[in-house]
Amino acid sequence: MGDTKTTSKEFKLDVLKEMGNIGVGNAMTSLSQMLNFAKVEMHVPDVSLSPLSDIPDLLGGAEEIIVGIYIKSPGAVSFYMVFLLDLESARALIKDLAGADASVEEHFGRSVLLEVGNIVMAAYLNALSHMTNLTFLPTPPLMAVDMAGAILGTVLADAHVAEDHVLVLKTAFATATGSIEGDFLIIPDVDSLDLIVNLLLNGACP
Amino acid sequence: MSEIIRVKIADLAVMKDDGLLITVGLGSCVGIALYDTVYRVAGLAHILLADSAMFRNQDNLAKFADTAIPLLADEMARQGARNGRLAAKIAGGSQLFSFENSALSVGEKNIQMARQTLSKLKIPLLAEDVGGSTGRTMRVYVREGRVTVTTAGGEEREI
Repeated sequence: MGDTKTTSKEFKLDVLKEMGNIGVGNAMTSLSQMLNFAKVEMHVPDVSLSPLSDIPDLLGGAEEIIVGIYIKSPGAVSFYMVFLLDLESARALIKDLAGADASVEEHFGRSVLLEVGNIVMAAYLNALSHMTNLTFLPTPPLMAVDMAGAILGTVLADAHVAEDHVLVLKTAFATATGSIEGDFLIIPDVDSLDLIVNLLLNGACP
Repeated sequence: MSEIIRVKIADLAVMKDDGLLITVGLGSCVGIALYDTVYRVAGLAHILLADSAMFRNQDNLAKFADTAIPLLADEMARQGARNGRLAAKIAGGSQLFSFENSALSVGEKNIQMARQTLSKLKIPLLAEDVGGSTGRTMRVYVREGRVTVTTAGGEEREI
């Protein structure tokens, strides 16, 4: 082990999948805590090198109207993270958390969702920070309610994705009652990938 | 209506005589429609980034505004269009998220590069529906040379 230059692409993907598993697990635990310990079921993260052109359709249709909460964490290892919910789930989440019936268009609803995004993604980065000893300084969350393709396309452009294949970790989750479901997408910066794999394989401690 | 071609992100397509070119979910991306009125050749590109010179990987020229437009014009020429007869309409380049601290958003850069490249190629820009904070879907009806834009939850309207 150790020399990632000789490790296969499949192996690297496995390492990243495990990173996704642990990180997203932590993120979903935080979501469950916010929801009064409601059971949140998480699918096994789907890690794939997707063709760039397929990404806007990753969530079941580029024209589908969804809520996207976007955070980036720039640094030695950069991540672009998007927490995505359909409109009904967003509304249910606001209601469960704040006890108020507010739409995603209202300031109050937006604030609740931005905060959820913040907490969930911070939990993800925390787990990753423990594994790698890296410090992450995420930007404040930003939100958009629009076509899935427009949201994902904007994130890809903001990430300056120049590659034709993009590594995406996608995790679908749902509450046990099914009232809230969504996806958690992580796009690691392509220049950071080897560094992440190295840190994860060789351990955090110097 | 005959054939429909869906143009994905960082891609382009050309049709002749009849059909529909559609690109869904333009956020900061810009859709560029070119049309030859005489020969009924239409093209549509969906660009992600403005300037190819900023990137090492230039395998896909359809990804950048500065390279996608000449490529689209070439493809159209191969199907009978004449450069001197082309006209353009563009849509997209919005700022979905409020990136407060970026002076010039990715969308704005994309719009500017599309305009610049069109003017360099002497292709008149007849209409644009750009900027703002909503995503767009763009359609090009090849027979009529009509270009429409739809925003989330909105009506289809011609530009």
